[in-house]
Amino acid sequence: MTRKSLFVVIVMLAALIASVPAALAQSDCKTIVPPSPWGPNDQTGATNRVTPAVTKAAAAEIQEGKVVVMSYPLGDGIPLFGTRFTKTILTATTLAPGAALGENQLTYMEDTWLSQSHVGTHLDGMGHIGRKDCYYNQTPMGKFITQNNMTKLGLEHLKSFATRGVLVDMVKVYQAAGKFKGNAACKKPCLEKGTVITKADIEAGLKMYNVTLREGDILIVHTGWGNLFEQYPAQNAVYNSGEPGIGKEAAKWLVTQKIVGVGSDSWGVEVIPGEDPKEAFIVHNILLTDAGIHIMENVRTDLMADEADRTKRATFFFSMTVPKGVGMTGNFVAIEGIR
Amino acid sequence: MASAAGTPAPPAGRRRCFAWIALAGLLLLAWLAGGGALVAVAQERRYTVAFANLTEEPGATLEGTGFTGREVRESFALAVRRYPIDLVFYDNHRDGQKALANAEDAVRRKVDLYIQYLDDPATNVKIGQSLRAAGIRALAINTPVPDAPLYTMDNRAAGRIAGEALSEYGAKNWRGLTTIGIVVGNLRAQEHRIPERAQGASEGLKRHLPAIKITALDTQGNPAQVGPLLAKLLATNSATKALVAAMDDASALAAKSALDSAGRLADGAIVGQGVDRSVHGGMNDRKEIDPSNRGSIVIGSVAFYLDRYGYEVLPIAMRMLRGETVPPRTVTSHRLISAANVFIEYPPYDMN
Repeated sequence: MTRKSLFVVIVMLAALIASVPAALAQSDCKTIVPPSPWGPNDQTGATNRVTPAVTKAAAAEIQEGKVVVMSYPLGDGIPLFGTRFTKTILTATTLAPGAALGENQLTYMEDTWLSQSHVGTHLDGMGHIGRKDCYYNQTPMGKFITQNNMTKLGLEHLKSFATRGVLVDMVKVYQAAGKFKGNAACKKPCLEKGTVITKADIEAGLKMYNVTLREGDILIVHTGWGNLFEQYPAQNAVYNSGEPGIGKEAAKWLVTQKIVGVGSDSWGVEVIPGEDPKEAFIVHNILLTDAGIHIMENVRTDLMADEADRTKRATFFFSMTVPKGVGMTGNFVAIEGIR
Repeated sequence: MASAAGTPAPPAGRRRCFAWIALAGLLLLAWLAGGGALVAVAQERRYTVAFANLTEEPGATLEGTGFTGREVRESFALAVRRYPIDLVFYDNHRDGQKALANAEDAVRRKVDLYIQYLDDPATNVKIGQSLRAAGIRALAINTPVPDAPLYTMDNRAAGRIAGEALSEYGAKNWRGLTTIGIVVGNLRAQEHRIPERAQGASEGLKRHLPAIKITALDTQGNPAQVGPLLAKLLATNSATKALVAAMDDASALAAKSALDSAGRLADGAIVGQGVDRSVHGGMNDRKEIDPSNRGSIVIGSVAFYLDRYGYEVLPIAMRMLRGETVPPRTVTSHRLISAANVFIEYPPYDMN
């Protein structure tokens, strides 16, 4: 190699090295997302609040041993937002004549499930929603993603969700206030899409059952909209066309209540169309990105709402296990409310 | 505790002082509580506002854009969620008699404010008189009602934004090449103020290319005419670049199709007017103005925001209801929407 070509190579390498910081340039996340109250290394978020004391106190809600289902069936044909998909394929080859195995004629079946993770009753993890490239706890996510998953803020960092659940029945609140507007496609009363659930509405829902939120709770908002999910696939288009849900003011207030999560019988928990046409899923930003508070979507709430109405008690032991999906942004879950 | 116990008791004068301060504090709290109650009462005051829409005839588009009256109405229905307002909707059916009947009904209802959207100045004068006689304030959209604040688009400004964007594009990308300007659309539609839009576009095209030759192609309201008119012009300008200011989004898409059919996509740049749903869309849609379609020769469209009129007009209405002074004329903030900013300005409609 001549000295000239060596010089050219060095210059090119220098140019390449100089270009790297530009390629990896990130937003200044410290100015975009607030820090976690649990420190700069926190990847857990609001489940830090589920302490042994919180779980023990929640166990007091189990008084009858009655288990109330709070998930919808998961299968092909359920309403899916945007480009999400799910497809199940059954492998049953040993059922073919002569395909059984051994003298004991063993047969077996297995499923292949191809699915996006934010499908059906599911949990939004901390890596789901950001502002620019900044995610929970000022994480510059561009530095922590591969083609397969995230290397930070995955579901494996979450702690337990064994805590108290509190249901607010927005249908009853709106009916009591004389401001109920329903949707004709719902077979049971549901709030109309675009209905902004406010802080005052949630407070009215809590007051209705004489409950006060406490640190570590999970709030479940019954809007009735989930009835459209139950009718799948007939009302999928209506279900996805919008939804009643919490607005910005309510979300900010819930952050101050130090809860762990908010779930609802809708696909996005927050009001759609939103309060400002120039904002996209802003409540997700307020809860997840800024406060590490989980969002649970497509939660079946009607059975618990009926139970609360019958017993005049809207609290329960919230039982939900989240698979430790390494580097995953969310996952389908099964929820049960135990009373 | 130890240090507190060891603190000597304050003298009697200081104790009296503390008592007075405590009393004053209690009075202040009581006053604040009373004030809070007054504020709460003030917040509970609800107003009844009538909105008489231009027309909600299915498929009928407004103001020479792709927006419909239904979109305008929906924007009011959504925007009102922020305000202590009960809206009463009317459809003027683009008809003076119907509009007069609507206003009469609103007078009977004793609404607090009347928002009039009708492109008939003579009827608006009569309605203004009727409302004034009833002591009801009016707010006009796009066509004035005498003595009423006006919210209006600015067609000339919108046209100029499009023209300037094209001019800048031509100057930047086609320097030294023969370039013509084309203004295409329903150019004589005075009722939609398209001539003003076209004038603005022509002015804008000359911003960076002062010597550019501009050809006007009048479709007479039929977007299907864009293709034949443009094809003919392109055929006679074979080695020429074309900056196309389309007067609406449908014409912009038709112009792109015409350039494509002529094998001349590389020779064109197009800007539309309106930013209706035909050029931007939802999460699953891949529309013309889309971050994943940055190479499109439709480099943008100028926003008219008819689908956000409620969000623009109701704040003015609210100020009027509160007795505040509002400007006599508020103009739409038209801006160029391109692949670079469409998702900021118009998040996919199913995500907001």
